[in-house]
Amino acid sequence: MKISSMRYLVHQGFKGIWKNRMMSFASFCIMLVSLLMVGISVLLALNINRIIGGIEEKSEVVVQIADGISDADREQLKNNIGALPNVNTIEFYSKEKAWQNMMENMTAEERALFDYADDNPLPDTFRLTVHEIKKMTETTTQIETFPNVETTRSPTAFADTLISIRRVLGIISGAIVLALIIVCLIIISNTTRASVFARRKEINIMKYVGAKNSFIRIPFFIEGMVVGVLAAAGALALTKFAYEGVYAIFNDDFTLWSVLGVSNLYPFEDLFPYVAASYAIAGAVIGAVGTSFSTGKHLNV
Amino acid sequence: MVEFKDVSVKYSSGVDALNKINLKIEDGDFAFVVGPSGAGKSTLIKLVLKEIDATSGEIVVNGFNLNKLRRRKIPALRRTIGVVFQDFRLIPTMTVYENVAFVLRVIDAPAKYIRSRVPYVINLVGLSNKAKSYPTELSGGEQQRVALARALVNDPKLIIADEPTGNIDPALSYEIVGLLKGINECGTTILMVTHEHDLVRHFGGRIININSGNIAFDEYIGGSNED
Repeated sequence: MKISSMRYLVHQGFKGIWKNRMMSFASFCIMLVSLLMVGISVLLALNINRIIGGIEEKSEVVVQIADGISDADREQLKNNIGALPNVNTIEFYSKEKAWQNMMENMTAEERALFDYADDNPLPDTFRLTVHEIKKMTETTTQIETFPNVETTRSPTAFADTLISIRRVLGIISGAIVLALIIVCLIIISNTTRASVFARRKEINIMKYVGAKNSFIRIPFFIEGMVVGVLAAAGALALTKFAYEGVYAIFNDDFTLWSVLGVSNLYPFEDLFPYVAASYAIAGAVIGAVGTSFSTGKHLNV
Repeated sequence: MVEFKDVSVKYSSGVDALNKINLKIEDGDFAFVVGPSGAGKSTLIKLVLKEIDATSGEIVVNGFNLNKLRRRKIPALRRTIGVVFQDFRLIPTMTVYENVAFVLRVIDAPAKYIRSRVPYVINLVGLSNKAKSYPTELSGGEQQRVALARALVNDPKLIIADEPTGNIDPALSYEIVGLLKGINECGTTILMVTHEHDLVRHFGGRIININSGNIAFDEYIGGSNED
């Protein structure tokens, strides 16, 4: 195909958008809303995951070390625990530090009760965080088999709750995104079908004068793709606006949300390239594929 | 050249549209195809354009054996044929110039050739002053002349005119057929389907009469304008 022909076809594609502006506008709106819905669902799911992840990171396992062991044994134990695959960080928390900490958190009257205690009753501990909260129980069981470990304390009940919340949310958000994608594809393919139907005469004439199918398809293809990309740009702008609004609410008003650990949202700048790329690709592909699907039927003359 | 050998078409409804037709239209012929509605005239044209396939028999059009022609080669066949329809079938969103130029774009002609060829053909049908008009701004006769220019522009070997005068004033019908005659004199084969016996009697030439799927009559008659 000659460059001049290609240029003509691309030009026809752009002209087609204007010539069929009502249909183009309808496709644009539907694609914009669809992209927006899917995008927001995905962003919501991502952030919920991140919030849960943040809560997970904060849930500590406390390992109580046997009293009076040597520094070398303690170091050995620390290395053993640190070598476990699920252990993320491990920190030694001495009985002196624990004692000091406890004292600081007491009122003067309470502290007076301990004035006569000549011995620190608190144990040395390791505080550790895990990579995967769902393997927490397994990890603590392993740690308890090591020598010089008295007991372990971990928020397993809490961990179990988090795990099930995460699983349910995962299923729900996955189902919503899937349903939305299917609905969008159906609506878009119908809209383009209507716009192709409106031009079936034109297609029919092209066939009579000996146009190859590719010649007929390319302008529709370009038209669909351009509308898709425009819809993606619109959706991106709206997503940015909405997301930053929500982000501001959660991050400025720290009183409640930060206490719950919810202030931990992704900043939009971090997501921007991914959101923009996904929207652009999804818009272009859905637009192009949608039109190709619906032109196919009218090509067999 | 169009050649039909024992061609039959049977529609799935069980109707016999054509019944063992034998027909040969040589290069440079001008043939009228006449006959009552439902006789098989449209079927004949659809066969030549390979819109439908014959149930049996063999068809050769402009050197293409249609029995063996693959689907993706159909555009190549159609590029050797110009078609004029009763309802013009111009693209309403394109100007006269674009409607004609469009055919050359379809066949991937060089831009330079398009720029010289299209005005030439539009001039040939006498519409140079309407090149920038849209089809809706033209009369029926003018629209049909645009359709004729479109059929003509890529210099086809064969022009099929399916009731080209069906939707225009009788006076203008003579003009259209006159144009077709002129094109024919330059060597293009013309196959024109029509209902209008006055027109046929006036111009004369080869008359193919189809009735109930059979060729009832196929002869040359003298036109009254030649007296």
